[in-house]
Amino acid sequence: MNTVNTGPSIKSYKKLNLWFNFDKSNVLQIYSGKVDIGQHISSTLALICSQITGVNYNQIEIIKLDTDISPDEGITASSLSVAVSGTAIKAASFTLRKEFYNYAINNYNILEDNILFENGVIKDKLSNKSVTYWDFATTNEFKELEISDNLIDSELTEYINKNTQSIEIKTIHDIVTGHYKYVHDMNFPNMLHARIVRPPNYHSKFVKINESFIQILNQNNVKLFIKGSFIALLSIEEFLVVKYLDIIKKQIIWKDVKDLSNENIFISLSNNQKNSLLVKAGGEAHQEKIPNIKDFNDSKTFSLSSEYKKSYLMHAPIGPSAACAFFEENLTVFSHSQALFALKKSLSTYFDIDKDRVTLKHVPGSGCYGHNGADDVAFEAAVLSKEFPKNHILLKWTREDEHCWEPYGSASINKIKGVIDSQGKIIYWSNEAYADTYLSRPSESELFNFISFKFLTNDFAEKKSTPKTSAHMGIHRNLDPLYDFQETRLVKNLVHNLPLRTSALRTLGAFANVTATECFINELASLKNIDPFEIRINHLNDDRAIDVLQMLQSDMNKKTKEIDFHRGIGFARYKNSAAYCAVGVELKINDDLEIKLNNAWITVDAGEIAFEGGIKAQVEGGFIQAASWALYEEVRFDTKEIISKDWDTYKIIGFDNIPDINTNIIDQKGLPYLGVGEAVAGPTGAAISNALHEALGERIKTMPFTKENITKELLN
Amino acid sequence: MAKIECDLNINGISKKVTIHEDKPLIYVLRDEFGLTGTKLGCGLEQCGSCAILIDGKKKLSCNILAKEYQKSEIITIEGLKTDNYLNIVQDAFKKYNAAQCGYCTSGIIITLTSVFNKNSNPTKDEINSSLEGHLCRCGSHKSIFQAIESIKNELA
Repeated sequence: MNTVNTGPSIKSYKKLNLWFNFDKSNVLQIYSGKVDIGQHISSTLALICSQITGVNYNQIEIIKLDTDISPDEGITASSLSVAVSGTAIKAASFTLRKEFYNYAINNYNILEDNILFENGVIKDKLSNKSVTYWDFATTNEFKELEISDNLIDSELTEYINKNTQSIEIKTIHDIVTGHYKYVHDMNFPNMLHARIVRPPNYHSKFVKINESFIQILNQNNVKLFIKGSFIALLSIEEFLVVKYLDIIKKQIIWKDVKDLSNENIFISLSNNQKNSLLVKAGGEAHQEKIPNIKDFNDSKTFSLSSEYKKSYLMHAPIGPSAACAFFEENLTVFSHSQALFALKKSLSTYFDIDKDRVTLKHVPGSGCYGHNGADDVAFEAAVLSKEFPKNHILLKWTREDEHCWEPYGSASINKIKGVIDSQGKIIYWSNEAYADTYLSRPSESELFNFISFKFLTNDFAEKKSTPKTSAHMGIHRNLDPLYDFQETRLVKNLVHNLPLRTSALRTLGAFANVTATECFINELASLKNIDPFEIRINHLNDDRAIDVLQMLQSDMNKKTKEIDFHRGIGFARYKNSAAYCAVGVELKINDDLEIKLNNAWITVDAGEIAFEGGIKAQVEGGFIQAASWALYEEVRFDTKEIISKDWDTYKIIGFDNIPDINTNIIDQKGLPYLGVGEAVAGPTGAAISNALHEALGERIKTMPFTKENITKELLN
Repeated sequence: MAKIECDLNINGISKKVTIHEDKPLIYVLRDEFGLTGTKLGCGLEQCGSCAILIDGKKKLSCNILAKEYQKSEIITIEGLKTDNYLNIVQDAFKKYNAAQCGYCTSGIIITLTSVFNKNSNPTKDEINSSLEGHLCRCGSHKSIFQAIESIKNELA
């Protein structure tokens, strides 16, 4: 008998009433520890619950994460929202439905055969007696119920009614009418709007301000707050803060403790001090001796080496980060952070107050996947709220703040060597990944990861990152390929003293590692004239992976390639444990070296489909973001400052380069949900790169594939 | 800078407000009228999230002065509904779930409303040209294009 794994959340939150609330008439409210950042997690969880409990989808609400009442399900990251919270809600819904039936049968004397079950109400066909979930929820029995660890697969399958796949996402009505409320829209009596007066760069220390300007601020009801090198402007009227922010910058003298580096970033990545770890099969990194790269000198094998490079990327949400905070006796922060429980602990540590006195409440922000400015702005708002205890503080970052001060996705290099034998078997594969950390989220012991912490304390000492070793963590995510190569040598290099601040950006190292892997396998295949699909399938032992690739091939073959268009593919299983995804791209390149995307095909296996619309939004949105990274995105900087300050100096993809996207989702009924939000990015980078290679006849190895980078590599 | 009295007509309602003379329209919409559906994305006229309709034409509201639009008819995302019915663009976006975080959506709906008000069958190039300067980071573009196609079909 197959049983369903209830996942990690249920182990910590076993009681049913920690997941469901029936206090509102005819509304089933769900507590979840995941936040809706545009990935439709609210709609997905409501749909899972509706399909099992029989309660109408429209009667189900997801309570926005509130650290006082919601389960702590960790960070909303790493493509785990449905896999973790979805699985928990599935188990909780199953227990609710099963126990509700038992309650009705035992307490209302309704025979099972006479049950008429509709929209969460049990009726006795004979007596017309009825009982609802809301009745059940008032009983002591409900309050004591625990979610079973041992859910029977066959019973669960019997319960699930999947006839409601086509649903309206929970947020859409308010979004299209302009009534969806973001942190930026919050309003309280006597609320102070705030902006941070940013220094020129990470290493600038406050020296002095023109004293006469402080009087001007006072006369205009704008407050100035200075602590160390942390400076903020505040006013009841937002416009005044914005207006004086521009002016005050000219009134302050800063001293740069040091410059940003002007060395080419790829030289720094290769040459700087680093921690090198050996990554073993399974994806864990180990501190042990790293073997030298092997030489193969026999005439029956073909060796090749390549270096793939990726620039710094930014999260770049369309709306800059914001937070609202109020600190009287207790601290309450309204935030769009993806890590609210961690933020609660960090804030209680910083202010040295009991955790019970800190509450974090999720309010939506602008879409972004990863550690952007959300945590920083929440910390800064909290700091200001302590100084102005009678006022709510609504702090918004400016566009320039978001572009220049968020933690970026690291620039990186992959140095690969491969050897293919005369039979077309890859017998040796060495991949060394070089990057800065992808993991610098703030924590109780790492408050310095809040960007303003150093300015508040004037402690400008460099903090060295330590390499993370768990499987597929950070730089070595997806460094271990799913392919069955005869011998692999995988090395993670955490490089120090790099110029820009970095942390978690969607996929962490997987975008670079998968792109490099999937380009290089094509390079090896071309040595033996092997078809790109064939070489991949020949090195896979996983049927689901092979199915995804074969379906992609079939989908692409349905459309004839036109003259002047070129195709490429890429494949990966995210973290070798989440969704399988294969991507095909068709593009053309004009005489001015501009790349135009024409068609894209995506096949994905994310386990059982929880909400098809959610999966599509994630993979198609992920494809578009990754295409933007591959084609356009690069954070630019000089010795004094970051130059990519706005959308003109940091270009992202527009509506004019969106291909026709054909998405095919394989439904693995009864199998676990697999995280899908990040699966598409690496295969997309590779598919574009491989199509570009077909177009040019040359391999361009530095992303983004701008005219500048293409020209430079063609000339070399 | 001095405060002035400003007579503005927003979503069919006229109201006099006393504002700083140099206050951009977006802050007036949000502060004085409570219309927060218009979003500030960059303040540089680069992202499109602050688009509104002024006398039927799309205009970015982040860098224009409120005082200069006293004789204009201003429509924000909240004013697109008539008699509680969504307009055709809102309706299509809803039908196709054409948003993820939704921060850019109101600006895009405003722009498409101005396009379809003028032309019931715009070409792909005309659509792309109208959406130049609108950015969406979540990657909702495909569902937005599906919504646009459905509008064209409905108007055909």
